[in-house]
Amino acid sequence: MALREPAWRVTTRELESALEEEKGEGDRAASYLLSPFGARMNRVLLAGTLTPPEPIGRDETQPFWRSRLTDPTGAIAVTAGSFQPRAMAQLRSSTAPRPAIVVGKVHLYRGRDGVGYVSVRAEGIRFVAEADERAVLADILRQTLDRLDLVERLEKDPATAEDLLRKDGLPGLWIRAARESLKRYPDVDRPAFRRELRSAIRRVAGDSGPVASTLPPPPSVTVSRAPPPKPSPPPPTAADRAEESMFLDHLDEIAEGAADGYADLKELLARVAAEGLVSDRAEAVLGRLEEEGVVEEPIVGKLRRAE
Amino acid sequence: MVLRAVGAEVREYRDRPEVTFSWRTRVAPAGPGDLPRIDSEEIPFRTVRDLAPPDEGFRVEVRVVRIAQRTVTVGEERRVVHEGLVADRTGPIALSSWSDFALQAGEAVRIAGGYVRSFRGRPQLVLDERANVIRVEGGDLPNPDQFLRSVPRTIAAIEDEGGGEAVAVEGIVVGLLPPSGLVYRCPTCNRSIKSGICRVHGQVEGQTDLRARIVLDDGTGALTINTGRTDTERLWGVTLDEARRRLRDQPDPSLLEESILETLLGRRLRVRGLGTKDDFGVTITPESIEAVEVDLDAAAEELSARFGEAK
Repeated sequence: MALREPAWRVTTRELESALEEEKGEGDRAASYLLSPFGARMNRVLLAGTLTPPEPIGRDETQPFWRSRLTDPTGAIAVTAGSFQPRAMAQLRSSTAPRPAIVVGKVHLYRGRDGVGYVSVRAEGIRFVAEADERAVLADILRQTLDRLDLVERLEKDPATAEDLLRKDGLPGLWIRAARESLKRYPDVDRPAFRRELRSAIRRVAGDSGPVASTLPPPPSVTVSRAPPPKPSPPPPTAADRAEESMFLDHLDEIAEGAADGYADLKELLARVAAEGLVSDRAEAVLGRLEEEGVVEEPIVGKLRRAE
Repeated sequence: MVLRAVGAEVREYRDRPEVTFSWRTRVAPAGPGDLPRIDSEEIPFRTVRDLAPPDEGFRVEVRVVRIAQRTVTVGEERRVVHEGLVADRTGPIALSSWSDFALQAGEAVRIAGGYVRSFRGRPQLVLDERANVIRVEGGDLPNPDQFLRSVPRTIAAIEDEGGGEAVAVEGIVVGLLPPSGLVYRCPTCNRSIKSGICRVHGQVEGQTDLRARIVLDDGTGALTINTGRTDTERLWGVTLDEARRRLRDQPDPSLLEESILETLLGRRLRVRGLGTKDDFGVTITPESIEAVEVDLDAAAEELSARFGEAK
């Protein structure tokens, strides 16, 4: 029985530069993403600012949402689908960029052109106070520097005995990852990465500084693609407002009659469809109401009026 | 009962001597006076690290780190057992004494006549009325504080060692395992029950309790912390009564679990306690759990210092 995969503390920059995969052997074997800086990741822990999500995918029975998490070194896509109902509910509750802590599994997608896109499929998301996000960022930076030190120590002296490293408190998992990083990324620019980590310390100290997303991407990054920003929707018309109020009337009625106080989404959609507000239009109304903070979906498929 | 056996055989079984009676053996009752006197000086000394079940016939010199008495039900009988932790230079071992030797935390003792068994996957030194305990000076034995205030170590190291009697770790909460939240227990044996059925006592009126199985991760590995009612209430900030009220208002127990996770995810905890390991990894039964407040200025300064600069 395999032990639970640790959550590697990584910055978004390290994640987006991790393009080497390692597939485990046997049934249900975990796969790993190797970074140039000594991480061999299946699960990661991230801290940064999370934007409100946008829906992706066309299958309505398999909802899938994507946000972007920005930290002082860059940004990465964070996704959640129906297999991560809690994380998806958290993600969907977000209406404005907020500091967050994310635990999730790394995912590498290679496009037809061979370019890799790294994303994180969230298992747990918590929106937090800024101080909490900075505390986790401090942990991320400290462990990232520890791993870099280890990689460079092994580069200088590849024959360093494992016992010696373990005596310094370095786990076997890290040592193995560092050796593998050196092998797979022989020419990586570590000093440049160190400079980025160094400027990220300002964020820990409370100086929010220039947020990375407003900076032009540094030349070393060639691998990540930001989803294009959505054009802002046109202001709602009177007809839209009428649909919203009809939608809300039905929501209140169902919620009142329900034992748990929630309006069941399916039932609601069926009722509004009977009044001529069919699937796509109904989803659009729901999306608007959620965006405006009128309605929330704390549990998947269960709606209520936001407080 | 003392017996005299003539013509018994001694053979080796799994590296240990074993006395076998056969048809050739003559067995007869005898009295305590017939027993040969074994000078306790002849019993070999062992270090704690070398002890493993089912060892017996050894002496150890240990410091009592902590000791407390507890009443347990053995069959029909209620008995007092003295449980604690003892240690020598090579490490600690759990102690379980079924006889009162008036042990006090901090004192050094020489123990003869104990044996080692496995309890929840960890070795435990067991004493009964046949054991012999003498107070000694114990100048070279470790200070109890060393085990009570152990410095946090990496979870990877604790995984490698298969847990420990007094482990300390610091990490970040990354998840929660079921069952967490409101659970029902059998009023007789305190076992957790499902659908009102106790595994031993059948249909019972379950009593509500709070618990959480917290996944703590320090970047080198992850382990589970089992918290009981008091720690769960304190970490969650919700009492058992409040949890029951919430369940009445919204009869969905998974909402309580979500609320615990929502409170704890990403929080930094320092935990000390007994660590046991099974196929699913290490589990800690905590003696203490503290939320760690990170001093951000100090953290930033420490990070800057790694680049050879003062902030």
